[in-house]
Amino acid sequence: MSFSITDPSPRQKAVAGALVIAYALITMLPLIWIVSTGFKSSADSIAYPPKIAFEPSLEGYVNLFTAQTRQTPEYLAENPPQTWYEEIVHEKGMVIAGPSRFGERFLNSVIIGFGSTFLSVFLGTLAAYAFSRYRIPLKDDLLFFILSTRMMPPIAVAIPIFLMFRNLGLSDTHLGMILLYTAVNLSLSVWLLKGFIDEIPREYEEAALIDGYTRFQAFRKVVLPQAATGIAATAIFCLIFSWNEYAFAVLLTSGTAQTAPPFIPTIIGVGGQDWPAVAAGATLFLLPVMVFTILLRKHLLRGITFGAVRK
Amino acid sequence: MTRFLSGLARLRRGPWEMVASIAIGLGVVMLMQPFFLAAFTWSFLVLLTGTVLFIVVSHFPEDR
Amino acid sequence: MTDTAMGRVAEATPPGVARRIRGLSDRAIAWIFVAPTIFLLLAVNIFPLIWTIRLSFTNFRANRPNAEVESVGLRNYQRILTDADVWATMQATAHFLFWTLFFQVLLGFALAWLINRKFRHSDLWTTIIVLPMMLSPAVVGNFWTFLYQPQIGLFNYAVEFLTGVPATSFSMIGEVSLAPWAIVIVDTWMWTPFVMLICLAGLRSIPESIYEAAECDRASPWRQFWTITVPMVLPFLMLAVLFRGIENFKMFDLVVQLTGGGPGNTTTLTSIDLKREAFEKWRTGYSSAYAIVLFVTVFGLASIYVKALNKVKER
Repeated sequence: MSFSITDPSPRQKAVAGALVIAYALITMLPLIWIVSTGFKSSADSIAYPPKIAFEPSLEGYVNLFTAQTRQTPEYLAENPPQTWYEEIVHEKGMVIAGPSRFGERFLNSVIIGFGSTFLSVFLGTLAAYAFSRYRIPLKDDLLFFILSTRMMPPIAVAIPIFLMFRNLGLSDTHLGMILLYTAVNLSLSVWLLKGFIDEIPREYEEAALIDGYTRFQAFRKVVLPQAATGIAATAIFCLIFSWNEYAFAVLLTSGTAQTAPPFIPTIIGVGGQDWPAVAAGATLFLLPVMVFTILLRKHLLRGITFGAVRK
Repeated sequence: MTRFLSGLARLRRGPWEMVASIAIGLGVVMLMQPFFLAAFTWSFLVLLTGTVLFIVVSHFPEDR
Repeated sequence: MTDTAMGRVAEATPPGVARRIRGLSDRAIAWIFVAPTIFLLLAVNIFPLIWTIRLSFTNFRANRPNAEVESVGLRNYQRILTDADVWATMQATAHFLFWTLFFQVLLGFALAWLINRKFRHSDLWTTIIVLPMMLSPAVVGNFWTFLYQPQIGLFNYAVEFLTGVPATSFSMIGEVSLAPWAIVIVDTWMWTPFVMLICLAGLRSIPESIYEAAECDRASPWRQFWTITVPMVLPFLMLAVLFRGIENFKMFDLVVQLTGGGPGNTTTLTSIDLKREAFEKWRTGYSSAYAIVLFVTVFGLASIYVKALNKVKER
């Protein structure tokens, strides 16, 4: 059987498929490990050899969401556990002292993520429309400038931003982080959306203008609905970026506005990191992104190349 | 090669961008090579020159 | 239908506003649309950049805002560019950069080529392979330290299972000779799909007719691969390499969570060193100059990257 690049034989397809599936399974292992460790008891999580079959436990999730204190056996005997989660904690000789910080940090991630996504997509759509449809002086230079802002090393940018936020009272505030992430995401949203709007034929708007629409109405009623998919894809990309961002978050926030990525690695149990709790936090944190990635799969390539490669 | 040189002489964008890119590439190699400290010291100047050159020459006319 | 909708809008909009919007020239609309973006980027990027340049000529320290600030001329730059320790962080970055690019290009291209054989459900498996690159590097990097534990880690256990080297005999992130490779492995795991996706786009952009013509000429598959596939994918590969190169040149989150720059300074990449200078030692003036060196490098690479982007766009 001769080898052909354009028309692979069934055997070639089978071999290629087997190799790719093998790689996919290996690549999935760490992710499977994160999810499964979240459901292990602390003893199972540090067992040698690593346990593949184990009895599921919600200890990690309970530890993740609660702050606990050690109590004397007498106190524990006097106060029997009321609920299933109190019972899990009780067995270790502890009682629940209150909720942990995880909920707050997760909520911060949601607020800052959605806030900055909304702003950057809103501003980005306007700018992208203008870049796509109008003659703007120094257009190429402006577009390059916009893109280059995203390339800058975050640590290098963080030095003056840190000073600026300190002077403006924006350190460790939601507003500061939203503005910062908006600025970083704007470059992506302008470039991506410009690509999507470029694809909408100008004739549609011209027809609307002849019908008596103003430019602004044509933009709102013709271009926006046509670009809806593109806008949604762009929004998800922006959301994933702000969701995952670590460098700015760790340098510019410490408490009230801290997001989950700098927080999750600091989850400490008795004697080092509490791996089931860390894994539980990571699972809750990574799962939304995995779902979004699957939703985005048709637009992934555009997103990672700033709209240059369209498949 | 002659086209490249004539492009340089007539201040065309293509060949000059190539020159600037090579300067930037050279700068990056100088910055990160493990052999000569002197090359590391001068890498920043090469990078700066290459980058400024790139910005300037990208406004030269395209050769048609 | 359109008329009534239009009518309703006209009724709902006060005449003054309507006239104002209607009366806007195209030029005015263009500026109104672009201005907020440019303004925000000026405020969050250009203004701080100018500030950084100014600070880079001083001995300012951010933890002593009231101390007297003196101009030191080019001394900060002089110090950075003759410092063997800074040079060493550049070499650590170079090691990381070179090997991650090497493995990612090799694996990414091979995977793309295999996926392009169009076997059943190849789209499904592609989506699964892509997952790691979308995740938070800090959270994932932190969890990898667990996988790298000598006694209980899955990675060490897998190595023992496959090669027989006892799992407890080595520590990927604790040993000077292994730590630089530990970060290369995780980065390769995360970002190979990126190179793969771009290579796949390159492979799919090659018209089948070219191969068919080559087959008519009885060119061997090996020859077809080197004379058609590789040259046609090369611009795409350039794009992927440049982008990953820029990203890994400024790598911070993943490595800081994995090794924190240790053991010793073996994995202290430039960004990690800069973070220590700026936010632990608070040598703000010095680290501003340091930041400018990184800025210029990234800016230069970014201009080449945009050139490569436009080249691919034309295809």
